[in-house]
Amino acid sequence: MKQAGLDLGSVNTKLVVLENGKRIYNQVIPSRFDSVQAGITLLKSYVEEHGEKPKKLVVTGYGRVNFPEGRVITEITCQARGCHVYFPDYAYILDLGGQDAKVIKKSAQGKVVQFIMNDKCAAGTGRFLDVILKGLDLTSMEMELATEAKPMPINSMCTVFAESEVITMLAKGIPKPEVIAGLFKSTAKRLANFVESVGHPECLIFTGGGAHYSLLVHFLERELKGKIVIPSDPELTASLGAALLA
Amino acid sequence: MDNRELWTALGMDLEKHDDFLAPVPAIFTSLFLDRPNRPKAMGYFDMVVGDVHGIRVHELYAMKEAGAKVFSTFCVYVPEEIIVATGSANIGLCAGAQYTVSSGEKVLPRNLCPLIKSTMGFKLDRICPYFQVSDWVIGETTCDGKKKAWEILNEHIPTYVMDLPQKKDAKDTRLWEEEVREFASFIERETKVTITPENLAKAIQTINNKRQALQRLANLRKHTPAPIHGLDVLLINQLSFFDDPVRFAAQVNALCDELDVRVKEGSGVAPVDAPRILVTGTPQPLPAWKLHALIEQAGAVVVGEETCTGERYYKDITEPADNISDMLANIAKRPLKVNCACFTPNQGRMEDIAFMADNLKADAVIDFTLQFCQTYGVESYFVGKEMEKKEIPFLRLESDFSDEDQGQLLTRIEALIEMIRA
Repeated sequence: MKQAGLDLGSVNTKLVVLENGKRIYNQVIPSRFDSVQAGITLLKSYVEEHGEKPKKLVVTGYGRVNFPEGRVITEITCQARGCHVYFPDYAYILDLGGQDAKVIKKSAQGKVVQFIMNDKCAAGTGRFLDVILKGLDLTSMEMELATEAKPMPINSMCTVFAESEVITMLAKGIPKPEVIAGLFKSTAKRLANFVESVGHPECLIFTGGGAHYSLLVHFLERELKGKIVIPSDPELTASLGAALLA
Repeated sequence: MDNRELWTALGMDLEKHDDFLAPVPAIFTSLFLDRPNRPKAMGYFDMVVGDVHGIRVHELYAMKEAGAKVFSTFCVYVPEEIIVATGSANIGLCAGAQYTVSSGEKVLPRNLCPLIKSTMGFKLDRICPYFQVSDWVIGETTCDGKKKAWEILNEHIPTYVMDLPQKKDAKDTRLWEEEVREFASFIERETKVTITPENLAKAIQTINNKRQALQRLANLRKHTPAPIHGLDVLLINQLSFFDDPVRFAAQVNALCDELDVRVKEGSGVAPVDAPRILVTGTPQPLPAWKLHALIEQAGAVVVGEETCTGERYYKDITEPADNISDMLANIAKRPLKVNCACFTPNQGRMEDIAFMADNLKADAVIDFTLQFCQTYGVESYFVGKEMEKKEIPFLRLESDFSDEDQGQLLTRIEALIEMIRA
């Protein structure tokens, strides 16, 4: 039997299809401010390739309530379920999405025990990093140098003000790698506090688009004084969880 | 005199007032009137809301014409018995609308509790007839924001401030009792009515009856299936602050009679397996219905409120006494049993929450804090700890009176419900 999980996120929309528990399809496309339409497009292209609709569908993510079909489950429950496949022994999940950040604590059975979300303030979300990095127009060389650079402290709590703080630093002639290192370090610090308001994991599962920033992972490990594990497709775990719950 | 003549007489800004009230009927219809299986006795409360700036304001206006005064309050600590004893009116003012927040921000910092900003805005905008009909505001020192805001409000309406202690030691109890006695003299002076053992005993009885009716209603909610929606009870709790206390108690008791039958029949408003939620934290003053509406929209049912628009208002009654001095002492004693986060330490509140969760068979606790409320915001740490100890699923929510974050709140509430059901 085929079961699908569709995660309608603010930045990307993701589809995972399982057949008898094995993953046979996954795809990510940008939501472009209309995740419902993106979800319809994804399902359509799956049907074109595979001939038929999956028998069961669970929709999750920010656009879930407006999607015309499928059972609705929140991204919190789906994320925990998806991560449990990869890391059944670890309890804490940090999910850094485009529009929000979450910390989820799951039980030995993969069920949610506790969670917190930040979706009111862009600082400490994927959007914060995207906005500022886009403005910096980085080369891959500068990005690499940032790993070794001394991080410049960034103090502003607000994305808009942090952006102007960064601009001021650059105008003063501070090298870009130092600014970038500072940016990731301050974000890591904020995320570490966020995690520690729920618990103190020895090992943290890190998911969402944010988990692709290796520099962030580096600083986060330092801040948390612990190990961080990342599933192979960190932006797909919620849709995988949705498919498993379908 | 019709409503508009009354509002004009009260110096209201009619245009703004129309604009403020315009969306209310549609919201009230969809949130309340359209819901199936509501108790018939809700009809009275629906009628009060249906003319929320009419009926009761006319009554208060008539009382004033007859020589009485109207005192507006914002806190369950203010001893309403003393006001009622003199034949004057005590009304708890509404302060739960986003509409007036921006006006409040003209004179208050933006990073201040929305309840205070909303209150201030109602007065500055002149769109609350209750505020306009009031002779005095009775403030209190339950938080720094309110304490300082009274000074500004006093520029617009005479404001009397009661100094509530921050601890509950013997000397604090003495201070509060003295405050209550001074308040009684102030009310006598203002109303030109002498407080007698007879009128004070009667007022104590009147307010006790109101609180006991609310206790009875609260206690009916422990049954499964829930005989009444949390949102309906919240509305009643909100109206308890400004309706006529005698009539209100009679109507609440009539509702309870109807609910008794439901309980006996085993019928209710939610499925037997609907998750039962206890709401704790800061108040939801009229017309702040968002939280309860979202929780019940998500398929759960709210079975209790450990808030000032709930349990904290009615959980204790005033012991009767046979002379004025003892009556005033007892009036002072009651509020000090109420566990507001303005006190330190406040372990009693954790016991209240644990007791309510157990008594109401709550499946989860949602601790709600109005944005920028320092005392409840900080104390939420202990609520979370206590719930962890008791192994009760717990969700912390922060919001204001705006509608914009409903999707975000709903995601959290739905996840909590999934957690309970998993």
